Amino acid sequence: MENQHILSAFDRDLEAVQAMVVKMGGLVEAQIVDAATALETRDEELAEAVRKRDKAVDKLEEQINAEAAQLIALRAPTASDLRIALSVIKISGNLERVGDYSKNIAKRTKVLLQMQQINGSTSALRRMALAVEGMLKDAIDSYIQRDEKLAADVRSRDIEIDQMYNALFREFLTYMLEDPRNITACMHLHFIAKNIERMGDLATSIAEQVIYLVTGEIPDDERPKSEGVTLANHPEI
Amino acid sequence: MMNDMRLTERVVDATKIKISAKDVQVYYGASHAIKDVNIEILDKTVTAFIGPSGCGKSTFLRCLNRMNDTIPICRVEGKILLDSEDIYDRKVDPVQLRARVGMVFQKPNPFPKSIYDNVSYGPKIHGLTRNKAELDAVVESSLRKAALWNEVKDRLDAPGTGLSGGQQQRLCIARAVATSPEVLLMDEPCSALDPIATAQVEELIDELRTNFSVVIVTHSMQQAARVSQKTAFFHLGNLVEYGDTAQIFTKPSDPRTESYITGRIG
Repeated sequence: MENQHILSAFDRDLEAVQAMVVKMGGLVEAQIVDAATALETRDEELAEAVRKRDKAVDKLEEQINAEAAQLIALRAPTASDLRIALSVIKISGNLERVGDYSKNIAKRTKVLLQMQQINGSTSALRRMALAVEGMLKDAIDSYIQRDEKLAADVRSRDIEIDQMYNALFREFLTYMLEDPRNITACMHLHFIAKNIERMGDLATSIAEQVIYLVTGEIPDDERPKSEGVTLANHPEI
Repeated sequence: MMNDMRLTERVVDATKIKISAKDVQVYYGASHAIKDVNIEILDKTVTAFIGPSGCGKSTFLRCLNRMNDTIPICRVEGKILLDSEDIYDRKVDPVQLRARVGMVFQKPNPFPKSIYDNVSYGPKIHGLTRNKAELDAVVESSLRKAALWNEVKDRLDAPGTGLSGGQQQRLCIARAVATSPEVLLMDEPCSALDPIATAQVEELIDELRTNFSVVIVTHSMQQAARVSQKTAFFHLGNLVEYGDTAQIFTKPSDPRTESYITGRIG
C-alpha cells in the first residue's frame, strides 16, 4: 500500500524492518555464490570466509525478529501491515536457513579439498547454486516491488532445481558404483546438492510469502513438481 | 484447525438474524447522514460499528431503538426489522421497544438515586415484577451480570453517582440488562474508562453475548477486534464493509476499510 500512515513513525518502523530483510537477502545471495565458487575453484580461503560470514546473517535474523515483535507489540498492525510483520519474520527465517546451508557447503568444501576431485560435478553444483541464487534474488525483488507475478514465476522455477538435483543424484550414484573410493567425496557432494535443492524450496517459500503479503492468501499447493527420486527410478539400489 | 477452542469461539450462527435493516436512510434536515444501509445483525453475537467521527455509526445505532425520534429534524426512511417486525410501525410503542432494545451510553449516566433504584427503575415502570422479593432478585441478578454485585452488595442504598467511573458504567449496564432486553446497544461504552475498567466491561460484553445480541460503537479498533465477532465499517454515511471481525482485521476487501483500520489517510 502506497498510502502513508497518519503516524509517520509507523511508516519508518515498517520501512526499517523491511530494509533489514532486503539487506539480509543480499548477504545470503552472496553467501550462495561464494560457497559455490569456493567449491568449484577449490578456494579454501573463500570457503572459510563464507563460514565466518554466517554469523552476520544470523545476527540480522535476530534483529529482524526483535523489530517485528516490537512492531506488533507497540503498533498493533492490522491487515496489510500485519502481513508485513508476519512475512518479515518468516522470510528472515527462510533466509537464515539458506545461510546455514551455504555455511554447510563451505564446511564440506574444506573436507573435499583433502580428496581427489570428482569429474566436473562441482561445476554442475555451481550452475545449480546460481539458478537458486537467481530464484532468491527474484523472490527478494518481488518482495520489494510487491510483484505477485514475479513471485509466481519463482515458484514455478523450483521444478528445474529439483530436476537438477535428481540428475546429480543419479550421477553420484554412478560414480560410487564405479569406484567405492569415490563414496566419501560423493556423499559430501550429494549433501551439497541436497542443500542447494532445499535452498530452492526456501526461495519458493519466500515467494509464497510475497503472494500472501500482496493478496492475503497463501497460494495453494498447485505448482509443477518433479517426480522426485524414487526407488522405481533406481532398481539397482 | 477448527477444533481449536479459541478459533471456534469466534464462530457465530449466521442463520439467526435479530435485526434486519433494509435501505435505511437518515436525514438531519437537509443533510443525508445515512445512505442506503442494509445490514443483518445476528442474535447472540457482538457486532462492532467502526468508522471515523461523523461517519454515521452512532446515528445508525440510535435508529435501532428509535432514539432518533427525540430529534425533531431527524427523519428515518427504509425498514428496520426486529425479529421480522418493523420497529417504525405505528403500532410499536417506542418505550416498549427500548425495553427490548436497551442502550448504554458513552458517559456513565446513573440516575441521581441509590444503586438499588437505578437498577430497579426499569423493571418497576415496565411492571416486570410482582413484589419486592422478585424485584430484589432482578436487581441482584442484573448487578451480577454486570459484574458489580460483589462491589456494591453492602451499599445498595448509596447513591449511584458516588461510584467510580468504571463502576458507574457497569451500573448503567446493570440498569440496561434489568429489563431483560433482547438487544443491547452500546455507544462507546468504554471511552471514559481506564484500561482495567475497560477490560472488565469487555469481559462483560463477551458474557452478555450468551443471552443478548450486542451492538457496540467504538472508536477503538483494538476494542472492536477484541470483543466482536462481526464488524461493520461506516464511512461518510455508507456501510462500506460488513464481515467477520477476523476477516476485516486481517484481509479487508475494500481499500477504504484497509486505509482506516491500518491508520492511513483514506
